[in-house]
Amino acid sequence: MSLKVGIPRALLYYYYFPQWAAFFNHLGVQVVVSRETTRGLLEKGLRSTVDEACLPVKLAVGHVLDLRDRVDYIFLPRLVSMARREYICPKFLGFPDMVRNTIDGIGPLIDCNLDLYRKNSSQYDFFYAVGKMFTRNPVKIRRAYHASLEALRRHCLAMESGALAGETAPETTPAHQNRTGEARAGDVNVAVIGHPYNLYDRFISMNLIKRLKENGANVLTAEQLPEQMARREAQRLPKKLFWTLNQRMIGAAYHYFERPDVHGVIHVASFGCGPDSMTGELIERYARKWSRKPLLILTLDEHTGEAGMVTRLEAFLDMVRWRRNLADAAAATTTKIIAKKAEETTGAPDTSTGVFAAK
Amino acid sequence: MYGYLGIDVGSVSTNLVFMGEDGTVKHSIYLRTRGKPIEAVQRGLKMLKEALPPQTKITGVGTTGSGRHLAGVITGADIIKNEITTHAIAASNVVPGVQTILEIGGQDSKIIILRNGVVADFAMNTVCAAGTGSFLDQQAARLNIDIEEFGPLALRSRVPVQIAGRCAVFAESDMIHKQQMGYNVEDILAGLCDALVRNYLNNVGKGKEILPPVVFQGGVAANVGMKRAFEKALDMEIHVPPYFNVMGALGAAMLAREATSRKNTGFRGFGIVDRDFYAGGFACDGCPNVCEVVEITESGRVIARWGDRCGRWSGLLEQKEKIS
Repeated sequence: MSLKVGIPRALLYYYYFPQWAAFFNHLGVQVVVSRETTRGLLEKGLRSTVDEACLPVKLAVGHVLDLRDRVDYIFLPRLVSMARREYICPKFLGFPDMVRNTIDGIGPLIDCNLDLYRKNSSQYDFFYAVGKMFTRNPVKIRRAYHASLEALRRHCLAMESGALAGETAPETTPAHQNRTGEARAGDVNVAVIGHPYNLYDRFISMNLIKRLKENGANVLTAEQLPEQMARREAQRLPKKLFWTLNQRMIGAAYHYFERPDVHGVIHVASFGCGPDSMTGELIERYARKWSRKPLLILTLDEHTGEAGMVTRLEAFLDMVRWRRNLADAAAATTTKIIAKKAEETTGAPDTSTGVFAAK
Repeated sequence: MYGYLGIDVGSVSTNLVFMGEDGTVKHSIYLRTRGKPIEAVQRGLKMLKEALPPQTKITGVGTTGSGRHLAGVITGADIIKNEITTHAIAASNVVPGVQTILEIGGQDSKIIILRNGVVADFAMNTVCAAGTGSFLDQQAARLNIDIEEFGPLALRSRVPVQIAGRCAVFAESDMIHKQQMGYNVEDILAGLCDALVRNYLNNVGKGKEILPPVVFQGGVAANVGMKRAFEKALDMEIHVPPYFNVMGALGAAMLAREATSRKNTGFRGFGIVDRDFYAGGFACDGCPNVCEVVEITESGRVIARWGDRCGRWSGLLEQKEKIS
């Protein structure tokens, strides 16, 4: 019987699960994912975590507890840095220790360091250290590593073509066809900026994405942008933001503010998250100064009362539609004026503009 | 007579507006919800029926407020709309060109920024209900004065007392302290108004560009002390529209007029006043989420369900308006 490694459905699961799963599968290790968040699971996490931790960390502890008695190892990589001269939130860094010290009877953890902060550091060292726990064959590890990179590449491509991380992540092969066509069924485009572990967790986000879709909005997220693009956009900041995740959010927000087909932006922050409170403020300032697009800031907490969120979302979409219709009407009158002017100058009605204006 | 009905079911008050074809308010009712929204709606409809001429026909119904779904199901509303949109619609029709709406109700407060007649930004209070109507009610009761006298008394103050307005709990203990020190009631009330306005502008109004004309509405707008405190803090003229306490309902009626322009109303008639509605609930045991499902029954027949995350219960009923 093969060994079982548990991966909590929390934190960077939503970014890297396809990569991790491919790696373990190639080593012949069975991957077990914790169940989707439920109230019971969150409550377990809340009870076992120190009060100071943020909601996503508390939730992640709940997911670890869900895996506790079902697997041989729990995969909790110590993510220090995912890119040169950048950091992941310190709470992620200390997460394996937090788990080890607060949960009694926790089985063995896989908590190898992943630190790409310095030049010449490579992900391979991390995967090699993990792989060594399961096989002594370096070639096997090398192959598994390459397969994992390929899985991550495909996952990123799927997201860039419009899939949402929550949808692709559970499968190891995220080949969704016709996703883009379906994703554009609504009448307004709303960019939702937030940590993937908040957005795609249906319980924590109170089904935010589904609610938006049901109300006729197409949802765009930061993950749908190529990483380089988000980085480039974030360079508008006077100083580099060294938190990888929030840099991506800022870059995406800037990008979507500029894009003409996006009608509104929603920033989702979690209560008690330091970096989020800062990105929220930066995005708000940018919106006020440079953009006329509606912005909604939602803060998620452990309460389950949905009424407050529903009211804000509905009002936000009303506002977005109202303003879009007004902009459309203004655009229509300008085209009519242009057509009329063309008519006056040429003497004869220009049929092509006439048709356009009639629309 | 034909007209449109707007119902705003809030945490503290339930308001009904009967609006004529021309958009003017023909009759308005302001009731205390007292924690029983269904009863309040029925009571309000009964009063409205008695107040209106017998041949009156309701040609459209809109509901809003935190109890909008409940009221919508009971009355057969043509439109169920959030309170931010309805308040904005009403204010921009009553005060053309309005750029800022300050709204303070029983349990929540909001600010709505309009530019060129369109909502540009809005905010609602988050977890803190300091400075909302129910807190003022509570303090008035503690000082043994009627809430109606609160405003006029505050206006008589000459030297408002400095009161900590960050948090309702601290404000209360600060007020008690000031009372014990011997400050008079007028100055304490005026100080409380100043503190609450400060709190409102720092929390709800944080970072918002408040431009005139400014409209102040919601139940708390009845309090002239609060109005003056806003005028002092913003150094602007504050308009309190004639139907300030039923603006949400008025907006809902306006939206009902729009919604029924091409279809007939779904209004179930004044007969619903005498029907037995019952709102019950149960905890679903289908999964560890243990959703609290709300069930509305009319004479023993389930007419609506909501509160379940997965749709297991709400999906059982064929509904026109899907409530999620």
